[in-house]
Amino acid sequence: MHKIFLVIKHEIITTLQRRSFWIMTFLFPAIIIFFNLGTQVIANSSFNQEDVQGILAGTSATPETIAYVDEAGIINHLPPSMSATTLQRFASEDKARAALEAGDYEYFFLIPADYVASGNLIVITKDFRPLNTPNENLLSFVLAYNLTDDEQTAVALLDPTPNIQQQALAPQTGNDQNNSLTFFVPFATMFIFFFLISMSSGFMLQSVTREKENRTVEILLLSLRPRELMLGKVLGLSVVALLQMVVWMGGSLLALNRSQAAFSSVSSYTLPPGFVIWAFLFFALGYLLYASLMGAIGALAPNAREGGQFTFFVLLPLLIPLWLNITFVEAPHGTLATALSLFPLTAPTAMMTRLATGGVPTWQILVSLGGLAITTYIFVVVAARFFRADTLLSGSSLKARRFLTELRRPA
Amino acid sequence: MSTVSVSSVRKNFGRVTAVKDVSFEVFPGEIFGLLGPNGAGKTTTIRMMLDIFEPDGGEISVFNGRIDEAKKKRIGYMPEERGLYKDLQLEQTLVFLGTLKGLAENDAKARLEGWLKRLDLYDHRQKKIQELSKGMQQKAQLIATLLHEPDLIVVDEPFSGLDPVNTRLVKDIIEEQREAGKTIIMSTHQMYQVEALCNRIVLISNGRTVLYGEVSQIKREFSGNAIVLEGQGDFSNVPGVLEARRQNGAWHLALNSSVNPQQVFRHLAQQDGLQIERFEIAEPSLDDIFVRVVQEGKEAEEVRYA
Repeated sequence: MHKIFLVIKHEIITTLQRRSFWIMTFLFPAIIIFFNLGTQVIANSSFNQEDVQGILAGTSATPETIAYVDEAGIINHLPPSMSATTLQRFASEDKARAALEAGDYEYFFLIPADYVASGNLIVITKDFRPLNTPNENLLSFVLAYNLTDDEQTAVALLDPTPNIQQQALAPQTGNDQNNSLTFFVPFATMFIFFFLISMSSGFMLQSVTREKENRTVEILLLSLRPRELMLGKVLGLSVVALLQMVVWMGGSLLALNRSQAAFSSVSSYTLPPGFVIWAFLFFALGYLLYASLMGAIGALAPNAREGGQFTFFVLLPLLIPLWLNITFVEAPHGTLATALSLFPLTAPTAMMTRLATGGVPTWQILVSLGGLAITTYIFVVVAARFFRADTLLSGSSLKARRFLTELRRPA
Repeated sequence: MSTVSVSSVRKNFGRVTAVKDVSFEVFPGEIFGLLGPNGAGKTTTIRMMLDIFEPDGGEISVFNGRIDEAKKKRIGYMPEERGLYKDLQLEQTLVFLGTLKGLAENDAKARLEGWLKRLDLYDHRQKKIQELSKGMQQKAQLIATLLHEPDLIVVDEPFSGLDPVNTRLVKDIIEEQREAGKTIIMSTHQMYQVEALCNRIVLISNGRTVLYGEVSQIKREFSGNAIVLEGQGDFSNVPGVLEARRQNGAWHLALNSSVNPQQVFRHLAQQDGLQIERFEIAEPSLDDIFVRVVQEGKEAEEVRYA
């Protein structure tokens, strides 16, 4: 037991000493957060989408003054709730163009004489702006108001679609279905769990093949049984993996809070109760399952390069929910998503994605966890069969046939 | 009482038999040479002796019985393929390997300081092993083998990669360990080192023990089967000669056991193109004995399977 403890300690210290570990632990999520939040901030500041109802309700800031030329003679007065400085009328197109040339405005609207018949509204800009067109909503609203003389009718004309409130019979999460985070959080959870499990189980492959390549394994085998070595490695690297999980999950939850604070218009998103505990259990079992498989590959492969060729196949089940992510967005509690979350090899990513969505019945979580625990136990026992002195000391190439031959050999 | 006793061990890997029948004993206070050509089964025999591999047949006794975890702590092993963590610091690696052998971390560090200073590695202790020269790595490996003061030391090619100064240093350390009563098993292809250091040897060829005993006794048994001669002409193609090599102007001929020096002399005397200036029976070197035994073993094996 003391020797296993020494291996655990050795694995923790040597992994934490590696710069690559810290880069992957901090830099990688930082890059993801930067791209996620950064692009939202940039997008937010780039598009001047005036929220008509927000301006009327006083919840949105008043936009810059919009210049226009009214050749149809429709606009005679503004809605009572709208500031007089919101619009600037020009008597003719020439005068408006002169103001544009002088740099007083970026663009102006021209309401043609046949506007009522054609509905056309012309915008004249200083330069070509394919992705940032001036928003005509506010002016359209003022035009509709002048034509109908009623604010509510004008709002309805602008957005005639009914405001649908969805009420599902299945258990609900309490999160706003129109909130972009309702889509984003489960999707992010899926990615985080995939990267966490694949990366931490990858440490196992690296650790075993490194000892084979360094030839230290022969010296270690004089002091340790092969399976003691495997146990020490799996447990030691599990501590490192948990640390990585704390950093990633903690960082993600922090990013979630920050993103909600940064965009006050976005309603708050709450994860279901017990999410962190379920996350810990699914991660721990998922890690053990895939780390034991990676360890088996490492025991058979002569070096990391050859071992790496098999990692894709080993990690394939974890990838399936990623490929089918649209299923989890459209129907998180549908047949396919539920089946994937109950199947042990896909459960760590699939069930966590559904859990982040919320509304998963407890019995499904327990069945999934139980199946995962049993499968993990079987895989650890099978992987231990590959951890033998002759496989660890062998330089033979890893081929599918050899994998099967070694599997059939007596333990 | 022997430290190690190996009796008729056998080991198969699938259909390949790596070791067929190997037996020998090693006693305290001796340096024992475990010799054989590449692929003869030496490393497999060592691994069975150290309980890394389970033998398929035969018996192995270490420290008067079956090897167990406590006995393993009394063994120091330096494998032929050196094993150190290349991307870790020297001191960290050696302390870890020492603690696996039962040393407390502080004891390991204290002992290590002395060894590092003696082997001129103290100033490099914080360096990564991959930054050290091959010779330095070799010395570090020796420290990993001896740090826990083992009673049985197994060293495979201990002089490989060392310059003459460090070869002398390592040789002195091995001699010291013998004088301290430790049992040393040394596997090497450098026969002059075996002659200089080993009391007894076992020669394994094709998975079998083909020669076993005291070095001096073996050399006496094989004398008469090697000759040294000087003269004019090419002596490399003489019938009954296993190996002919030229050294310092003289020819050293290792003879087949079915041929005696008189027959060779008569043959050479009848050759018009050859002129003999010196002809003497030589005590064969271990090198000659090695070549002869291995080649004869190979021929016998070929006859067996013909």
